[in-house]
Amino acid sequence: MGIDYASLLRSMLEASGTTLAIFGLTLLFGLPLGLLAAAGRMSRFKPLRWFVTAYLQIMRGTPLMLQLFFFCYGPYYLFRISGGSRFTAAIVAFVLNYAAYFSEIYRAGIESIPVGQYEAAGALGFTRRQTFFRIILPQVIKRILPPMGNEFMTLVKDTSLARVIAIVELFTIAEKTSSNYFSTVPLLIAGVFYFVMNAAVGKCFAYAEKKLDYYR
Amino acid sequence: MRMKKVLALVLALVIGCSSALLGCTGSSKTKVIVGVDNGFPPMGFLNDQNELVGFDIDVAKVVFEKLGMEVEFLAIDWNAKEQELNTKKVDCLWNGYTITDERKEKVNFSDPYMKNAQVVVVKKDSGYTSLSDLAGKKLALQSGSSAADALEEAADFKASLGGINEFGDNMKAFMDLEAGMSDAVLLDQVVADYYIKSNNKDWIVLDEKLALEEYGVGFRKDDPLRDKVNDTLKELAADGTLAKISTEWFGADVTTIGK
Repeated sequence: MGIDYASLLRSMLEASGTTLAIFGLTLLFGLPLGLLAAAGRMSRFKPLRWFVTAYLQIMRGTPLMLQLFFFCYGPYYLFRISGGSRFTAAIVAFVLNYAAYFSEIYRAGIESIPVGQYEAAGALGFTRRQTFFRIILPQVIKRILPPMGNEFMTLVKDTSLARVIAIVELFTIAEKTSSNYFSTVPLLIAGVFYFVMNAAVGKCFAYAEKKLDYYR
Repeated sequence: MRMKKVLALVLALVIGCSSALLGCTGSSKTKVIVGVDNGFPPMGFLNDQNELVGFDIDVAKVVFEKLGMEVEFLAIDWNAKEQELNTKKVDCLWNGYTITDERKEKVNFSDPYMKNAQVVVVKKDSGYTSLSDLAGKKLALQSGSSAADALEEAADFKASLGGINEFGDNMKAFMDLEAGMSDAVLLDQVVADYYIKSNNKDWIVLDEKLALEEYGVGFRKDDPLRDKVNDTLKELAADGTLAKISTEWFGADVTTIGK
């Protein structure tokens, strides 16, 4: 009995939906949260800075797999709340984890802008808010595109970790089919799927970099 | 003078290393690598001291000692077990490995040494008493396991379920049951009994069973090791060693080989 490739591809495409949903939702919430965290990390208010620094250390210092377990089963083992949604748990873990990495990238970008620009903007009568959103942030975005590209690509592949809390995504299907038919081919196909998704991510970043490549 | 010292040191190192290497290859014992799933109590699992123990482990040790072979246990991803075997990363699969027709096509099995069934575990206070009570409920199981195969066979039961949550091992499936995210766990009877007993859980095993099956040791096709191990297992059954190990783990002789 061989592998039915048509139905394998169909279920892999379906499961890619879950993969893309995790990817999309993580970016949707993680990118703004990361910016907030970066602001907190650079805040002059010490308790906030400590709190954010601790958050960054914990999220970056422990395995994402462990965080997935924590947000899935923590509510029950800590507070006896049962029957939560495992997909929500996965999104919470991914968002908090990735926002921590995004935050440091934002910070690197923001701190790379010379102080002189703030002074100049102030002299021209810009408020602090205007200075940040109109002058600093556009330059930051341009500078942080390459490291962000790295994170986006890692995220595409990390979505496969969601299977440890029984979320059916691309890799789950590949692994299961591989085990049912004693064949490594489904795993290779999964590899191609991830590669294609990341090729698309790479293309988007190349396009964005080109678009933002003004003053040259 | 200094040069000489360095030279002497290098020489000493070279001699030391090569003699160590020779010492290694010098031992005549052939080594067998046994692929196990280290989260499968009581057949093979890591105890509190992080040592690999279990019924299958004990039996395998005795068998390979009798054959004069050195044995190494390698914890593998049970999802990829047949690939591990066929790519010679391990020499046999010996850990509550269920004999199925599909697996027989790729794997050379020993004679069955133990009977097993696939059973459903639920929380006692859930009130579920039969498989039909689980209609619309969520079932957890280990992916790639014989529980997964048994569920495929029981198509009606599978269709009646509200969802299937698959995990890398049985312990995580139990965790999901405990946290109330799944309503039942499907797994091997020996594991279920042992787990409930040793952890004092308020869980029960439903009387209805899903599949009656047997455990065997898996080898590569045409591997002469299969017959050697099989004969040794029969000898151990005859001299009462198997019965003794079985009583240690299960409280009775549950082995079937050589009977």
